[in-house]
Amino acid sequence: MKIFADSALSFISERPDTHVRERAWSSFSSLGLPTPTDEVWRYAPLSDLDVDQFSVSSSPKIAADSPFAAQLVETSGYVVRIVDGFLTSSDDSLPGVKVSSVHDSSSLSGTSDLEHYESDSFALLNVALAPATTVVEIAEGTTVDRPIVILYSANGSSSFSRTHIRLGRSSSATIVEYFEGGHDALVVPLSEYEVADNASLQLVTYQRLDTTAWHVARTTGLLRRDARLRQSVLGMGAHYDRSRNDAEFLDVGGENELRTTFLGTGNQVHDFRTHQFHKAARTRSTLLSKGAVADESRSVYTGLIEIEKGAKRTDARQTNHNLLLSAHAHADSVPNLDIRENDVMCAHASSVGPLDELQRWYLESRGVTPKDAERLMIQGFFYEMLATLPGELADLVESDVTSALAKLQVVAS
Amino acid sequence: MTSTLLIEGLRVEVAGKEVLKGFDLSMKSGEVHVIMGPNGSGKSTLAHALSGHPGYKVLGGSVTLDGEELLELSPTERARHGLILALQQPMEVPGVRPIDLLVAAGANPTNLRQRMSDEAQRVELRTDVLDRFVNVDLSGGERKRAELVQLGILRPKFAVLDEIDSGLDVDALGAVARRLFAATTEWDCGVLVITHFRRLLQELTPTMIHVVSEGRVVATGGPDLSEVLERDGYEPFRITNS
Repeated sequence: MKIFADSALSFISERPDTHVRERAWSSFSSLGLPTPTDEVWRYAPLSDLDVDQFSVSSSPKIAADSPFAAQLVETSGYVVRIVDGFLTSSDDSLPGVKVSSVHDSSSLSGTSDLEHYESDSFALLNVALAPATTVVEIAEGTTVDRPIVILYSANGSSSFSRTHIRLGRSSSATIVEYFEGGHDALVVPLSEYEVADNASLQLVTYQRLDTTAWHVARTTGLLRRDARLRQSVLGMGAHYDRSRNDAEFLDVGGENELRTTFLGTGNQVHDFRTHQFHKAARTRSTLLSKGAVADESRSVYTGLIEIEKGAKRTDARQTNHNLLLSAHAHADSVPNLDIRENDVMCAHASSVGPLDELQRWYLESRGVTPKDAERLMIQGFFYEMLATLPGELADLVESDVTSALAKLQVVAS
Repeated sequence: MTSTLLIEGLRVEVAGKEVLKGFDLSMKSGEVHVIMGPNGSGKSTLAHALSGHPGYKVLGGSVTLDGEELLELSPTERARHGLILALQQPMEVPGVRPIDLLVAAGANPTNLRQRMSDEAQRVELRTDVLDRFVNVDLSGGERKRAELVQLGILRPKFAVLDEIDSGLDVDALGAVARRLFAATTEWDCGVLVITHFRRLLQELTPTMIHVVSEGRVVATGGPDLSEVLERDGYEPFRITNS
């Protein structure tokens, strides 16, 4: 690990908060990278991972927007750019929205990052190596009437972005996060979303990294009283795409709707994890995970619903459907429940198999070919995820998804 | 050109039970044929078997459209040959929009959204429904009208409608009946309607009515037959299981 470690230590010595970074690095070093025997990493192709192919750079590698990013910018009108973890541009044109880059190592959960992520090697790497934390704050009572686009470009050999999105009381916003780049790179985003009392956040994360990238992302939604978080995560790119999306209900009445989807092609691995943690009463979580694996790709969905004693009248639902598009593709589904309260509603369902036969017949009975029926239905997985986006932006992402799917050779079974 | 749909000796099994036991029917484009019969007589089975539903197994007989055997064709090919079914309970297809379905089904994309709106208005369907995913979160009545929008765009030679009238209020029923009747002249559509109710027939004048019992046609007649059914019910037409 010498090449990577040398560049990392040099980076750490140059950055503010060196002390915290050194501690995070040392925690990472003693924990080490996960191995295939770690249960939570058993599906990751860790034998392909050689961190010495990556290095840490002390400045962002600026490049022009991709055509798709440029369209996003044009459609949204409000853009925050983060390149290799560095906040490179933002604008102040939206009232009640503040974007800043800070050196802060506290998790929004109230503890330090070091404590909060102590057992997660990649998160610790982020704490050590993210250039700074980009903070997007929506002021109390503000309704942001335009979607905010955050463009994450991974242009260097490694990219550690840390983002805090904080919605003040009774505020409301729609945010689109778009990840691109990542050629032969390690991309490790760590994000926290804090939704204050009665606030509402619609969030769509669209991951379109290069298929050589190692993408290890972790997000945590923190919901206060009567807060609403509607989050969609779309995974298309990366060689290894790990996306862990957690939500914690810290007070009563919160509502979390999480939708995740992925498309696996080539030898990609999509590794999606969720943890809905109900710590307070009258909270509601709905999780819908749908994915498709083609070629020789693999996927795993691991979801945990945890309900603490006292979180009465929690309503938690988890659904996972995986679609196999080739005989050589493989999907696993691992739903888990940990319920310590009796007065709750809890349901989970999962399936792995081909497309719904009756839906397909219905489309075919109108004259749609089997191949197009399959394409429409898979594309539909993604379209469903975009329901929270305003029309123009949804159209844009949809057409990008559609063109990506058009390249896929799907053989109707 | 006049087209002919010919069903001869059709036998169909559902869940291991023979439901259609030699069904015969012949109709031409531009005609309206109505199939009436008690519950369980095989009406819906006919509709599903015609469009190749995977749960229905054809045991024998033939269905030809202008001489071509449809039973040997896939559901897609049957539709493309000109036979399309409107379902009693059309399924939800999350993530798929009506316009994308129609384009994939071969509809001309030019002004398609506008034509869909026009069709929706003719059957008194709110046009915002057209932008939702196919049948998702629609009421029973809205789904049926959405099926009519599809038919109006795809313009099949023969449209088979399975209890399109149930769940519709009187006004909507009138609009649906008028739309279907107009189709018989607009593109010479042959309309095969499965129904329980005479009401639909007030504005959709049938060429022929067929009474079905125990999986076959037991009586065929003109529009007057529906009055006989109204007065006497299906009992006089009931045949004993052979």
